[in-house]
Order: sequence, then structure tokens, then C-alpha cells
Amino acid sequence: MSQQKPTPPILLGAVALGAAGVLGTYFAAGPERFWANWVLWFVLMFTLGLGSLFIVALEHLVSAKWSVPVRRIPERLATLLLPAIPVGLIALCAVPVLYPGSRPEAAHHPILAGKAFWLSLPFFSARTVFAFVLVVIALAVLVGGSLKQDVSKDPAFNFRARKFAPAFMAIFALVITLVAFDWISGLTPEWYSDIFGVYIFAGAFLSGLAATALSLLYLQGEGRLEGVRQDHLYNLGAFLFAFTVFWSYIGFAQYMLMWYANMPDEVIYYKVRLAGAWRAITFALAALHFILPFFALVTRDAKRDPKRLRRVAILMLSAHVLDMYWLIFPALGGSPRFGWPELSFALFFLGGILLWIRGAMERGEDMPVGDPFLREGLEFRL
Amino acid sequence: MSKKSYAVLGLFDTPDALMHAIPKLRAAKLGTVEAYTPYPIHGIDEALGLRRSPLGGMVLVMGVLGALTAFGFQYWISAIDYPIITGGKSAASWEAFVPIMFEVTVLFATFTAGLGMLLLLNRLPFFGHPVLSSKAMKSITRDRYALALEAESETFDSAAAAQALEAAGAAEVEVLPAPDRSPFLTSDYILRTLGSIFVACLVAGLGIYSLIKWFPLLAPMKYMQDQPRLNAQKASTFFKDGHGMQPPVPGTVARGYLPTATGTQEAAATLVNPLPRTKEVFAQGRKVYSNRCEVCHGALANGAGSLTAAYGAKPANLQAQQFRDYPDGKIYWAVVNGKNAMPAHAAYLTEPQRWAVVHYVRALQRAQNATDEDLKVVAP
Repeated sequence: MSQQKPTPPILLGAVALGAAGVLGTYFAAGPERFWANWVLWFVLMFTLGLGSLFIVALEHLVSAKWSVPVRRIPERLATLLLPAIPVGLIALCAVPVLYPGSRPEAAHHPILAGKAFWLSLPFFSARTVFAFVLVVIALAVLVGGSLKQDVSKDPAFNFRARKFAPAFMAIFALVITLVAFDWISGLTPEWYSDIFGVYIFAGAFLSGLAATALSLLYLQGEGRLEGVRQDHLYNLGAFLFAFTVFWSYIGFAQYMLMWYANMPDEVIYYKVRLAGAWRAITFALAALHFILPFFALVTRDAKRDPKRLRRVAILMLSAHVLDMYWLIFPALGGSPRFGWPELSFALFFLGGILLWIRGAMERGEDMPVGDPFLREGLEFRL
Repeated sequence: MSKKSYAVLGLFDTPDALMHAIPKLRAAKLGTVEAYTPYPIHGIDEALGLRRSPLGGMVLVMGVLGALTAFGFQYWISAIDYPIITGGKSAASWEAFVPIMFEVTVLFATFTAGLGMLLLLNRLPFFGHPVLSSKAMKSITRDRYALALEAESETFDSAAAAQALEAAGAAEVEVLPAPDRSPFLTSDYILRTLGSIFVACLVAGLGIYSLIKWFPLLAPMKYMQDQPRLNAQKASTFFKDGHGMQPPVPGTVARGYLPTATGTQEAAATLVNPLPRTKEVFAQGRKVYSNRCEVCHGALANGAGSLTAAYGAKPANLQAQQFRDYPDGKIYWAVVNGKNAMPAHAAYLTEPQRWAVVHYVRALQRAQNATDEDLKVVAP
């Protein structure tokens, strides 16, 4: 464990400045815009944490050995789910403001009236709290257990985690679907897409991978995690590469089916996003989330070049932010809104997330030293 | 010198011994160093100094080519060669092309990877690789590790190579003869292959033909014949009203079936002939006129048709001042709806044909009442 470093004042300053802007947003720019921003950052934090937890569980599920040396990083990133819980509970206040299904006029709407129970605030909150409980259990088993193993060196944790991993996959599927359907697609409750949960999963997994690669390279820059070699980097890069294709596959499949069928209640979703300035954002999303990272990572050398990987990881995280913006902000109506409120939210939440991750990166050893497979993972070669 | 050797094989008992021997043999520069092991050994690629396989680049290029091919093909088919409007989409809708582009990209890429590896890089087919027929082959595939010094040129010295292998720690050394690289694609071989394919196709085709001919009950696939279908003028259980034919959806018009002029002839007077006065249009108008009009109105449009005398009918003399003053729309209205004894022609003439015949009637009227100026204009 390295000694505690002082928090850089620039981060604290950014958070403080952002907090002032966030408060100002509520009064100056109106509650709708405030809550849209709040939901955006809640979803970003939550998907990033969930995606990281998924990486951890995936390793246990398939008994992967190569990723044991880097596993502590997604474990630390997954703790981001803890601050996401209060943010999410506050975000419940956004439900009566932003989500048409929970507003009183929904009772007279021919479609929404039938779903009133599901969309109403009490059941919405109950589902959200249920998801948080599931996530905390998963965190305690997978991350808490792994941190304890550093000291106890007890291999029983590996058996426990391996048994829990299949159950986690079910939990994960449920929680990510709740995030997708309730928090994102709930903004347009007359629009349906069965594949939407998978789309959000792809984005969440990609953001988890990108954050893992970025943190790994940052720690290596500090001279830590020296046992992690190019071969491990290559695997992370290959995962990133593969899932850019998966994301676009799912995203395009959803778009193409709706475009082909041309049902008014479905195409309206894309009609809004292909009109005016949103059109440019849609194309930018395709370029930043797929075309650019795909060709940046296509060769073998690119996947294990730390410099290239760092740039792509930053790109992927920004593209994930853009993706969520593209999904959430059209609910405000009109052209894309971007101004000081969005910047203050970004300052506040980005600063907060970075502060949390800085702290989290000091949790436990840099590698899961108690894991009996660590040696095998360190010796991993392509 | 038929006993020219191709390679010298040295057998090692452990992978470590093999790995240690590699740098020594590479330094000796007697020939290409190649390793044969029962399973992949980490780090052996770097130790052997294998060059980067060009397969990845080939796959990328062919994958991109596959995407472009699929796009070009679909674009040509659906936007240029045979454009059909489907589902109200533009003929050149790239969205619809993407799944096929994806598939063809994968197809090109996988075929390049598989065939490129086997045929181009591994230089298959090659049935007589000397290592395969070596005595050591059995143990190489089981529990021992072999290094081969393979001949790079005519000056390969097998004795020196054997010595070098032994010095590097090989437990056993085996000298392998040169492989039989004689070309197997002889004209005889090609002819026999093509002949076999031809015979196989012939037999299969005749067999299936006779099977279907003599046992017609065993039609292999007749789902298309058996499917339920709607027949015009027949009852159907598909629709609620029990009819096979259905009226068009209210408020819609089928392509090419714009509503014809209805209402009064006076109301149609404002219609404008949409067709240009070109040679083709006049030719079409002439054809329509001779088919459907001439028999009553006469070839000169003067009302003296061949049927007039037989039936005592009095068709309009279109050369009369009254009809020469008609606007195009009123003639069109008469063609579509009929007038007095004249039947409606809406069912027989398409919209362009109706307007073409209006142009032709105008030409006939002008021809019969030509002025001196008209002649001047026509003069070449």
C-alpha cells in the first residue's frame, strides 16, 4: 500500500465550483434541466460501476486466469456504485418532473394509463431500491470478499465467488435492464425496444473496460502494478475492440428494424434524434463510439500500445457520456442543450468521481495477493 | 544426386532444452531453424525470430473489399438495374444494405483467413513433407520436441547441421531426404477431377429428374404451391367480409392510378395537358387514336368513320369550330367519361395515353385547318 497522497486542490476546487453551478442550475435554468443532468450523471456513475462489477464477475464465472493481476482495478472501480446510491435516491425526485408515466396526466393517456402501476413513483422507487440492495449484496460478496482475501489468503473465496458469479449474472441482467427501461427508456414510455437493455449493457461494459484500462495505465505511470505486461494490455484492448463492434451491432440492429417497419410510435425516437442539431450528434456518436475506436484498435500492436490504449480509453469514456446524453437529453424537447449547467454538472460529478476513484485506488493491495491464481495470471502469455 | 537431404531433425527431451538450443542454431546460420512440438510453447515465436504473419493485413483488406462489394452489388441491383420501391423506402437505402455488407465482410474475411493461411502461407497442398514421414514424427506428436535445420539453398551441409544439433544438445539426430515437390496439378489430374465432377453432376441431376418425374407425389418442396392465397372474384375466409378482393384503403391511391377527371366537363376545362409535344407522344397518340377513336370519328377526325354508315350513329365532327375551340381538358374529360353515345374510355387507356390522344386530336385539327404560316414552319 502506498502512503496517502494529498488531494489535489484543483479537484476540490472543481467540485466546489461545480456544486455552485449545480445549485444555480436548479433556480436559474429550471428543474427540468437540473433533473435531466442529474439523471444523466446518475446513469453514468451507475453503468460505470456496474460494468466494472461485471468484469469482476465475468472473471469468476469463466475462471479466467489472465485477468487476476488486473482484477483489483475493476473491483475498486465497482465501489463507485456506493456513492451512486445516494445520487440515485435523490434522482427519484426527478421522476415526477421528467418521466411522463409518473405525471398525473398519465392517468388519462390511453397507453400510459394501462401501465400506471408500473410507472408510478412508488413502484418505480421500490424497483430502484431493490436494484440498489442487489448491487450492494454483489459488491459485498465479490469486492468485499476479495479485499478480505488479501489478508486471509483463504482460497475459499475463489470457490464462493465462482458459485456466486452465475447468480450475479442474473442480478446484473435484472439491474441493467431496470436502469435501461426505467431510467432511460422511461423518459419516452410510449416507445418500446426489447433490445434496449442489451444496448445499455454494451455501453456499460465498454465504459467499465475503458475505465479499467485507463486506471491501470495511470497506476503503471506511478510505478505500480509492474507485473502487468503487454499481454494483459492486449487482452483488455481486444475486449474493448470487440465490444465497440458489439455496441454498434446492437445499436444498429435496433435502428434498422425500426427504420424498416416504419411504425410511427417507434420511428419517432429516431426522428427526434435525426432532426436539426441532434443529427450531427447522432453521427458524431457513431464516429466516436464505433468507427474511430474500431480502426484505432484494429492492429495487434495498437491493442498493447499503452499510449494508444490510453487515448482510446478516454475516447470510449467520452463516447459513453455522449451516448447517455443522446439518450436522455432529447426528452427535454427541442435542440440539444449544452451550456453552463451541463458544464457545472460535469465539473461536480467528474470531480467527485475522480476523488472517489483516487481514494478507491488505495483500497487493498494493487493486486489480489491472496488469490491462489495470481501467479498463473502473472505468467500469462498470449 | 538423388540422396540430397532437405533437413536435419534433432530431438530434444524437454521444451527447455529446445528453447536453449534455438539461439545456438540460429547463430550457426546453417539453414532455417524450424520447431516441431506436440503443443505450443510460450516464447518460441520470438526465439525463432518468426516474422509477423501478413494474414491480419490480408484479412483486413479483404474484409473492407467484402463490405464494398456487397454495397456496390446491392446498390447496383436495387438502385440502378431494377429499382423497386419497397415499404416506401428510397431505392438506394444504405440501411437495408448493412446486414448483407456485414455478412459478406465476414465471408470474405474468414475465407481469406482460412484459405490464405492454408494455400498462400502454408503452401498447401503439399502431401510429402519430409518431417511427416520421419521416424521421429510419432514422438513429436506425443512427448518430444524437435528442431529442424532446413535447407535454404543447394549448399546445405547436412553433416555440419547434424553436428551443430548434437552440439546444441539434441538427444537424437535424423537426416531427412528432399521432399517430392513434383507438381501434382498435371493435365491428367485436372482432367480426371473435372471429369469426375461432371459425371457426379450428371448422375445426380438425372437421378433427381427421374425421381420427380416418376414419383410426382414425392415432390421435394411444395410449400409455395400449398400456401393459402387470395383469388380475385373468389370468396375468402381471410377477410371479415368474406371477399377475396378488397376495396382500396380509404384515402389512398395506388401508384399509377391517379383519380380520373370526374365532375362536369366544364370543371375539367381548366386541366392542362401534362405531356410535352414530342415525336414519341404524337406517335403514341396516333396509335391510340387509330385503335379506339378512328372507327367512329374517322381518320381525319371529321366524324366520318367506317362504322357511321352501318349503325346510323352521328359521332362528333372534331373539326367543327365548337371542338376546335375546346380546351384540352374538355376533350380529355370526354375521353375518360364518354359523351352522349360515346362510351367511357377510362378503363382502356392509361393516363399518359389519354393525354397523348388529346395532343394527337389537336394535331389532326390543325392539319385540316392549316394556314400558310403552318406550312412555312414545317418546311425543313
